[in-house]
Amino acid sequence: MISISRLQKRFNVSDGVVAAIRSLDLEIAEGELFVIVGASGSGKTTLLRCIAGLETPDAGEIRIAGKVVSSDNPPTWIPPQQRKLGMVFQSYAVWPHLTVCENIALPLAEGSQRIPRREVAQRVQEALRLVQLEEQSDRPATLLSGGQQQRVALARAIAVNSRIVLMDEPLSNLDARLREEVRGKIRELAKQLGSTVLYVTHDQIEAMAIADKIALMQAGELLQVGAPFEIYHKPTCADVAEFFGSVNWLDAQVVEAGVADSPLGKLQIESSSKVGDKVLLGFRPECLSLSDSGANCSNSFQAKIGSSTFLGDQFIYTVIVNERQLFGKNRTIPQSPDGTALCRVSPSDIMVFPSRSKNGG
Amino acid sequence: MRQTSLRFRLLGEKGQTSSALLSLALVPMATILVLVTVMFWVSIQKGAVGTPSAIYTLNNYSEVFSDPFVLRVAANTVIFTITATLVALLFGLPIAWLAERSNVPGKTLIYAIMTLGLLIPGIYTAMGWTLIAHPRIGILNRWLVDLFNLNEAPINIATPIGMGFVQGLSLSALAFILTAQMFRAMNPTLEEAARVHGMGYGKILWRVTLPLARPGILAAVIYILTIGIATFDIPAILGLGNRVYMLSTFIYLKVHPQGAGLPEYGITGVVGAFMIIVAGLLTLWYSQVLRQGHRFEVVTGKGYKPALVPLGRWSIAAWCFIGGYTLISKLLPLLLIAYAALTPYFVPPSLAMMRQLSLSHFYGMDWELVLRGLTNTAILVTVVPLAVLLLGFSISWLIVRSRSRARYALEFGAFLPHALPEVILAIGALLLSLFVFGTSIPLYGSVWLIAIVYVVARLAFATRALNGSLLQIHRELEEAAFVAGLSTFRTAWRVLLPLIRPTLFSVWIWSALLVYRELTVAVFLAVHDNITLPAVIWSYWYSGSINKASAVTLLMTLVLAPLILAAWCFGRRSQVSAQ
Repeated sequence: MISISRLQKRFNVSDGVVAAIRSLDLEIAEGELFVIVGASGSGKTTLLRCIAGLETPDAGEIRIAGKVVSSDNPPTWIPPQQRKLGMVFQSYAVWPHLTVCENIALPLAEGSQRIPRREVAQRVQEALRLVQLEEQSDRPATLLSGGQQQRVALARAIAVNSRIVLMDEPLSNLDARLREEVRGKIRELAKQLGSTVLYVTHDQIEAMAIADKIALMQAGELLQVGAPFEIYHKPTCADVAEFFGSVNWLDAQVVEAGVADSPLGKLQIESSSKVGDKVLLGFRPECLSLSDSGANCSNSFQAKIGSSTFLGDQFIYTVIVNERQLFGKNRTIPQSPDGTALCRVSPSDIMVFPSRSKNGG
Repeated sequence: MRQTSLRFRLLGEKGQTSSALLSLALVPMATILVLVTVMFWVSIQKGAVGTPSAIYTLNNYSEVFSDPFVLRVAANTVIFTITATLVALLFGLPIAWLAERSNVPGKTLIYAIMTLGLLIPGIYTAMGWTLIAHPRIGILNRWLVDLFNLNEAPINIATPIGMGFVQGLSLSALAFILTAQMFRAMNPTLEEAARVHGMGYGKILWRVTLPLARPGILAAVIYILTIGIATFDIPAILGLGNRVYMLSTFIYLKVHPQGAGLPEYGITGVVGAFMIIVAGLLTLWYSQVLRQGHRFEVVTGKGYKPALVPLGRWSIAAWCFIGGYTLISKLLPLLLIAYAALTPYFVPPSLAMMRQLSLSHFYGMDWELVLRGLTNTAILVTVVPLAVLLLGFSISWLIVRSRSRARYALEFGAFLPHALPEVILAIGALLLSLFVFGTSIPLYGSVWLIAIVYVVARLAFATRALNGSLLQIHRELEEAAFVAGLSTFRTAWRVLLPLIRPTLFSVWIWSALLVYRELTVAVFLAVHDNITLPAVIWSYWYSGSINKASAVTLLMTLVLAPLILAAWCFGRRSQVSAQ
């Protein structure tokens, strides 16, 4: 539905030129809820704005629904007005001088689509029904709560075009509890309408919760594209692994096939790395299992329990193995009376990456 | 290569609106540059300026700076400006503190008095004070002479200090607005910290509030100095008839010599160039002080509610002060003008004179002249504010929204008219129309020449107000409209303009009022056909017909009053006056 190739965008800033997007390729299928996630300054909003036509790319091509909207060869530029996209802005951009109903009707009646009056009323009602704001229809937009304004923005976007909707951090101005509720609604609505949604956020949990597919963006490039499960459990590089959750990192060296020598001791790994390779091993805190006793099987170590924090649904704790501190997450902290425990990590839970200069921690 | 062509092309299509706006926005900047250049160009010529027979020389400069008369005029100007600044702060600063930091009752009225004070023309105060304290006709002098059997009048308002006093009364409103803004932005927790730690109100004011306010006060002082040094109307009303000159009135005399003298444009150019440099330096200093002021971090975005100092019985004293200021700066002058308009000749009011009040000056005035002035003023009031809005909006939009480097140039350009006093703009325009356009573009003596100068002069204020207002409109509100399919024009019409409508209206009415009362430019550029209503007052006053001048002033006020009221009502809604 949206396809991008070789896209580049640079910005002139006071001390030189910053490449916001460097030669980026991306393919979004119809009906997909595609999330671009990345730290602030990674270029994700710039990418979205290039697709919307609010930024002019320096090079590359963007197609929307098969039609070229921006390209350097042959030079093509379709202004945002004619791209026929629905878009939800971070600030909602609900026009404060208009009522809820007028906010949705204005682009329909006076935009490039020029929809006849009678049909406008119908489409406004339909959009309001979808976001459950029918009651508020005639209220001034500024009298609504943040969550309601967000729904007005959503209704406006889907009234303009429910086929393709762009969302730029649509939840970042809502409070935490509301955010969870609204993101469920957005996903529900997108699936109900069969929309293709391109969704930008900096919050990896939000991304996981809502996405069909996630792309992690860093310094103007896509590091990995994949389904949430895949990207969490099978990251292609250490940066991706670390972005989606904390990781215990260990520098190690492969000593025989499937065995690496690490600061903890010998670890069994599932990897095709050659003997003698230096590797970076990582496993997530929740993969560290503790028991107060038990047989000494493979990949298990005697550990001393360090500090622990109770979060309600689980503990976050540290254990010390061979003077290395490791983080763990669990519902309970089993330990023997002397404050030690046996900790274990399964070989399939250990991610193996080529070594980098990063220190374990 | 391909990339550059793509960029160029994309900009060409997307940036069509921007480039159209840009060319619009560059017009006033270019005008100012031309005016300044002409000034310097004329200043180095002797003989028939602008003709092949003109001699290019620096003699004008050596002549001016070695002339003892010019030096006295310069000394007068310095004394006048300093007095004006001190008097303006003497009234403006305490009233601003009262309005923002004390619990004095009736704050809305204080704001009404001070804001509208900006709109009451300085010439009213000047005319009124001539009637009060002129050595020959001033009623205060006459009473004092009678009371104490004096040989001569004890007070002379037609001195640099006297004129500075009147100018200061007129500028207090500005001093109030500038310093009130600063008191409002000051972080009250700094004062609260002092109070919690045991300091009294007086100590806090002296040791915390005023030191914190120092950059703000200094900025206000420089701002007022810049205006004072080149002001024309009050020194003209008070001083010209009595042969006490400031730089601005000196220039006027060189352009419009009395008797058989010939205009000395070269000299005018030199003094003008000198004033440009002084004003430019003051403006530089001003922006420096503003920048350093940020260091103090007294400005806060949060909606703190400042702790107000309880005045108790001192409220009465405070209101006596405010009332006294209103009386001597606004009410008394206006009353005396009205009295002068209705009496056959000007003598101190008495019962006998009250019986002689009549409308004879209204019948006796040259109605053809007055109507010509009224027509021209009407044209200016209609055209100028609209042009100011159009240009101001284009410039502001580009400054606030565009990311091209051109916006820095624009921002500077929009600030230029602020640095250049109206006198300079007026003379520049006069020299330009006389010696550059000549007969090829017949602007000399036309009302449009005045209109151009007014537009340029008012732009700094308009762009400042519109910048503030546009900055508060989130960029995404426009972008949402673009993406949703609204054309650029419709976006402006349906989204942007409705959102900043109060500011637009406020800028419009303020520009209209300031154009309506303006005297400096009008007096320099008025010939016959393009005389404005204030210039009619001026011509009566200058020729000694005090009563007729007062009559026209009274007429003018009758039109002004409802407009000022409207400005107040709308200004309150959009708070533009506070900017």
